[in-house]
Amino acid sequence: MKKKRMMAAMLAGAMVLSMTACGNSGGAEKAASTEGDAAKEAPAAEAEAPAAEAEAPAGGSVELVVTTTFAGEDSNAQNYKDAVKAWEAETGNSVVDTSATADETFKTRVATDFETGSEPDVLFFFNGADSNSFIEAGKVVSIDEIRAEYPDYASNMNEDLITASLVDNKKYAVPANGFWEAMFVNTEILEAAGVAMPGKDYTMDQFKADCEKIKAAGYAPIAAALGNIPHYWWEFAIFNNQSPATHLEIPESAGDENGQAWVQGMNDIKELYELGYFPENTLSATDDETFAMFTEGKAAFLIDGSWKVGGIVGACQADPSDPATLDAEKLDKFDVTYVPGKGDRKATDLVGGLSSGYFITRKAWDDPAKRDAAVSFVEYLTSDEMVPKFAQHGASALKNAPEVDASEFNVLQVKAMNMMAGTTSLTGAVQDLFAGDCRVSTFDGMPEIVTGRVAAEDAVAEGLEAYHNQ
Amino acid sequence: MGANIYRNKKPALAFLLPAFLFMVLFLYYPFFKTIINSFMHLKQLGATATEFNAPWYTNYEEMLHDPHVWTSVKNTIIMMLVTLVGQVGIAIILALMVDNIGRGKQIFRTLYFFPIVISATALGLMFNLIFLRDKGMVNQVLEMLGKQDLTDWKAEGIALVTMMAPVMWQYVGFYFVILVTGLNNISDELYEAATIDGATALQRVRYISVPMLHNVICTCSVLAVTGALKVFDLPWVMFPKGMPLKTTFLTGTYMYYQTMETKNVDYGAALAVLIVVLGVVLAKVVNAIFREKDY
Repeated sequence: MKKKRMMAAMLAGAMVLSMTACGNSGGAEKAASTEGDAAKEAPAAEAEAPAAEAEAPAGGSVELVVTTTFAGEDSNAQNYKDAVKAWEAETGNSVVDTSATADETFKTRVATDFETGSEPDVLFFFNGADSNSFIEAGKVVSIDEIRAEYPDYASNMNEDLITASLVDNKKYAVPANGFWEAMFVNTEILEAAGVAMPGKDYTMDQFKADCEKIKAAGYAPIAAALGNIPHYWWEFAIFNNQSPATHLEIPESAGDENGQAWVQGMNDIKELYELGYFPENTLSATDDETFAMFTEGKAAFLIDGSWKVGGIVGACQADPSDPATLDAEKLDKFDVTYVPGKGDRKATDLVGGLSSGYFITRKAWDDPAKRDAAVSFVEYLTSDEMVPKFAQHGASALKNAPEVDASEFNVLQVKAMNMMAGTTSLTGAVQDLFAGDCRVSTFDGMPEIVTGRVAAEDAVAEGLEAYHNQ
Repeated sequence: MGANIYRNKKPALAFLLPAFLFMVLFLYYPFFKTIINSFMHLKQLGATATEFNAPWYTNYEEMLHDPHVWTSVKNTIIMMLVTLVGQVGIAIILALMVDNIGRGKQIFRTLYFFPIVISATALGLMFNLIFLRDKGMVNQVLEMLGKQDLTDWKAEGIALVTMMAPVMWQYVGFYFVILVTGLNNISDELYEAATIDGATALQRVRYISVPMLHNVICTCSVLAVTGALKVFDLPWVMFPKGMPLKTTFLTGTYMYYQTMETKNVDYGAALAVLIVVLGVVLAKVVNAIFREKDY
């Protein structure tokens, strides 16, 4: 009898052990095989790291988990891959890349990773309100603290251009490249509709007149998915009812002067929707679908960010990952210009700046094996040689920015540089300060606003209330 | 001694313990934690709740006034009906037809079962392309047939149909295989006797196959209804955020939207509790309606 009990206990024990073992090996396999799961598996990998490092050669075989927004259609996705490969070859360290396209899901993932203790070692992320939660929790290291140990850290950056945190006014993120938002144009449609290329003095009234002509010619004037990504129109519609001086002030209420500017902005988008200037399926289409309409010559105007240059170039290549397959003639039909202005905002007053940067997490900093590697990685990616490659036609925070060699750029990048040369101001995006659930009523709620099911004033009031309750 | 080993339950308990612990850790603990979280104030996912909502039942009160909750419950109930009629109903017809053919049964089993093994996310992406407004497969076929204008298959009036058709299509094969197996278990002697008595093919189906399949159909119906409550990935890939105009939310997708997209985590927890309550109630109702018979 005793033997049987012993046997039963041993079998039960063996079952538990085998389940645990299966769990571990499964996790390890997943970490090795999929990038997306790498972040989740990171803690397990790190737990085993000290033993592995003890056997590693002194030259460096540290594994850094890095999360950036250089993925998908981002014009720097390939630059980032090349830079990581070069850094790995130079240092002998390796990178587990968990980068993803910068959207709301990505932001949630990053916030959750920090909350659950599975944050990366290095993070390229937004330095506005989106980073508040992990800065408040002390999960990233300030540049000053890093400089106490590494005095040359980010010393090549213009100190005034490194954005301070909204939480404690300390600087955490080393900027690499700036961004701008402007209006891309499919010139083929403009020619077909008899519309001139918009310029520096382009006004909203002229824009509406042009949209009417384009619509009459059988094209969709504006490529935008209001049910999916209304962000760019949201930003400029509000900006058009303010000025560069007041754009970054978040209203106290929907009733005050600034709040009314926001309400008017929403109503301006509603007017464009009612005039039929957005695609017929703007409320049910995804951003990818309306972008395809733009690149395939079915929609004329697209307001988007500097990262979209890469997306348009990719759409003009037979193989999106091979620059040698670029159809230069097709690319030449695209241009980029200023966003139509109104009131105190001139068309040349654009949205842009240095809204992202490299953070080093407290977890990596407190790990003696990773500290050096993390600092080395950020210094490499933000060096005087590397930043211009990422900045391309955009701004950078370098003290001594090298002369840009325009001969290396494609025709759309050159047009972007020329457009940027004419800007009169570059203001940050107010939505970077207005992050979280306060956006829901006017971002996700945009279809309800433009269809009149929810009044713009109510939607703005709801968002502001959520913001002030945060 | 020999008979005593069956009276002693301790070894069986020792074998059950690991699985029980697993369930406690990964099912019951998160479930009870979710109930508690639905009364707390949670700033974001993963954050520790420190205070109760004021009043503590805020989320449940909000649920009553939230039109999207009712939309999602209504859509989920429609999904259940579609599942019952579309999945189990079509599967019964297919199973009866395949049972009556001489050759190729195995081929049909494989063909109809195939969609089950494809990831729902991949299917969602595929159906996105099929129903694409511009150059989508369906619109191209309609264009070839002479239709002039493009149909937006994701527009407000038709979005639910576009969402439910692929879900229905994916699981027909699952119930088909269960039903075909049930049909195989019916003795050939019954059919032979009926044939000798002069029964036609339709009569054999009506008076032998369908009554003998009753319990299998009941099981399929319970599985279909409870399965409809859990449908998430395919609808979310095709209609993220309840697009268009938040009309395509199901209870699962709305809970995900509130938790992951709007970061209203405690409200998401309350919605999760609602889903569990709804699931238990509906499972009871379905079990009562489709009660199995003893033969």
